[in-house]
Order: sequence, then C-alpha cells, then structure tokens
Amino acid sequence: MSGLRLVAVLCVLFVLVSSVFVLGVTASATESEAVSAVEGAEAAVAEAFGAVLEAERAGGNVSELLDRLDVAAAYLATAKVCVRTGDFAGAVGNAGLCVEALEGLVKDAAALRDTAARASVQRLWITTSGSVVGVVIVVCGSFLSWRWFKQRYSKRALTMKPEVADE
Amino acid sequence: MTLEGYRTLFLVGGLILGLVALIPGLSVVFSFPEGERFSELWLLGSEHMAEGYPFNVRAGEMQGPVYVGICNHMGDSQYYVVQVKFRNWTQLLPNGTMTLASPLPTLHEFGFFLADGETKEVQMGFAIVDAAFEGNVSVVAKILINNHSFPVDLSSRWNVEKQGFYYQLFFELWRYDSMMQSLRFHNRFVTLWLNMTRT
Repeated sequence: MSGLRLVAVLCVLFVLVSSVFVLGVTASATESEAVSAVEGAEAAVAEAFGAVLEAERAGGNVSELLDRLDVAAAYLATAKVCVRTGDFAGAVGNAGLCVEALEGLVKDAAALRDTAARASVQRLWITTSGSVVGVVIVVCGSFLSWRWFKQRYSKRALTMKPEVADE
Repeated sequence: MTLEGYRTLFLVGGLILGLVALIPGLSVVFSFPEGERFSELWLLGSEHMAEGYPFNVRAGEMQGPVYVGICNHMGDSQYYVVQVKFRNWTQLLPNGTMTLASPLPTLHEFGFFLADGETKEVQMGFAIVDAAFEGNVSVVAKILINNHSFPVDLSSRWNVEKQGFYYQLFFELWRYDSMMQSLRFHNRFVTLWLNMTRT
C-alpha cells in the first residue's frame, strides 16, 4: 500500500515538474517565435514597399497598394508593441495579420509596374512625336505665312503712288 | 515698319511658337528642378489645436488625446514610423545636429505609408499608472499608452528651477530608407512636457 502511495506521489511530482519545465520551454519558444514572426513581417513589408516604389517610379497609381501597405504597417507596429509589453501571442498574431494583408501585393505591384512602364513608353512616343510634329507645323506655317505676307507687302508697295512731301 | 522689320517679327514669333511646341518633348528628356523635400511632424492637443496639451499629470488619470500628425513632402511614397519614448528631464533627447535618435527604449510606435503630399494624424491617449514619491524624487513604474502598458521604472528629481517632477513624452519620426533597406531616424521629433503631481 505504501509502495503504491509512493508511486502515486512520484507520478504527481513528475507531472508537476515536467509541466513547469514544458511551460518554461513554451514561454521562451513563444518569445523567440514572436521576435522571428515580427522580423518576418518586417521583411515582408520591406519587400512589398520596394515593389510598390518600383511601380510608382514607373508612373503607376499606387494609392490602392499604399492603403494595403498601411494596414500591414499598423499590424506590424502593434506586433512590435506586443513584443515590448510581453504579449508574445499578440505579437505572433499581429505579425501574421501583417503578412496576410500583404498577400499578393508584390505580384500586384509588379503587374502595375509593367502596365505603367508600357503606358509610359507609349506616352513618351506620343509626346515626342507630338512635339516634333508641332515644331514642323510651326516652321512650315511660319515660312508659308511669311511668303504670303511678303508677296502681299510687295504688291502693295508696287501699287503705291509716290507722293511729294511738302518742304 | 520695313520688310526687314516684319521678317524679324516673323522669325521671333516662329521661334517662340516652336519652343512652345518643343516643351512637352523637352520635359520628357530633361527633368525640371523640384522643390525642397521634407517631412512635417506636429503634435496637437485634445481640441486639435496647438494648445490644451496635458501637463500636470497624476497617477491613474487618463491624459489626452493628443494628435501626432505627419505630412509627406518627399516627392514619392514613404514608410514612416513614429516611435514614442519617455524620459526624465536629465536624460537625452534626439540630437538634431548629428541626426541621432535618442538612445532611450521605444515604448509605443505607429507605422504608416503616405503618398507624396498626403497627411496622416494618429490619436494617442496615455496615463501614468504606477508612480511613487519619496522625498525629492518621484518614480514612474509604468505608463499606459493607447491601452498598452509599458514598464519604464524612471525616476525624476525635483526640479528646483521649474518647481516640479518633470518628465517628457517625445515622438521621433523614422523613415524607411530604401537604399539602406532599414528604418532611419528622420531628424524630426516633437515633445510633451509632463509634471508629475502627487494630488
């Protein structure tokens, strides 16, 4: 009987000790998990922002993409705050939401960049050729109108009657 | 006017019209000078004015809201982070001449993306939740910012000159540098003086 009691006490002790050990490991794992989740989210935001900047520089309208980035940035900031306050589960959750908010954003930004680049090349051609055509029209127009004016001026000069001015 | 005079008039007129026609084409090749690039950072009181800031604070009393505003004039989209820090009146503020952020730990932070010319304002409420006084020293153990509690453990001696236990909440503006691929202190900060009172 006393042997059974001893086994039971040992079992309880084992469960208690192991639970404390497991909890300790879980807590430290959660902290490192939170930090790495935040780092992952930061990298995702940086990558997405780089893609959006490329699209913007290509001349694309990135306001919709910026709105999505803004949502992600808010989650990332909250995740960092959670790490500082010791709410590691909150940090992991917010970092996850941040990455979720960025889903497909890099692809969308790349597509927008390509579209904007094509439109930009088209715009460049239209502007340049428009300018060249404009200059040609101005040069020809000026030359023709000058010739017409010169003829008219000469005609008028020839038909003029000489007058003697009073002295 | 003589024929020579008219010819000069036609030449000058044609040249001006030609240049006008060339401007769109030139703007593609040459970039025209841009204005100064900068970011604005401001702090407003509870009435959205540059007044009515919290000053005399007591432990457990909610303060604010105060509004932190940012406007982007950098010429393209920016990723900004506002870091909220807390100090006593003897600790270091950011160094504006050397573009150095304060070495104090960041408590709260806000992150957002702004297009060129866009403005954003964030609201912030705070409370000193755990403070104690001992002779001519006050100690703030915790500060609550937008419902997040931050341990600070910061003491402040009685300021004889200004008659108070002075602390300061300050807001640093950081900007993502796409060349360096990291957040950098943008050399802008705003501060809020707080006088910790017993009653």
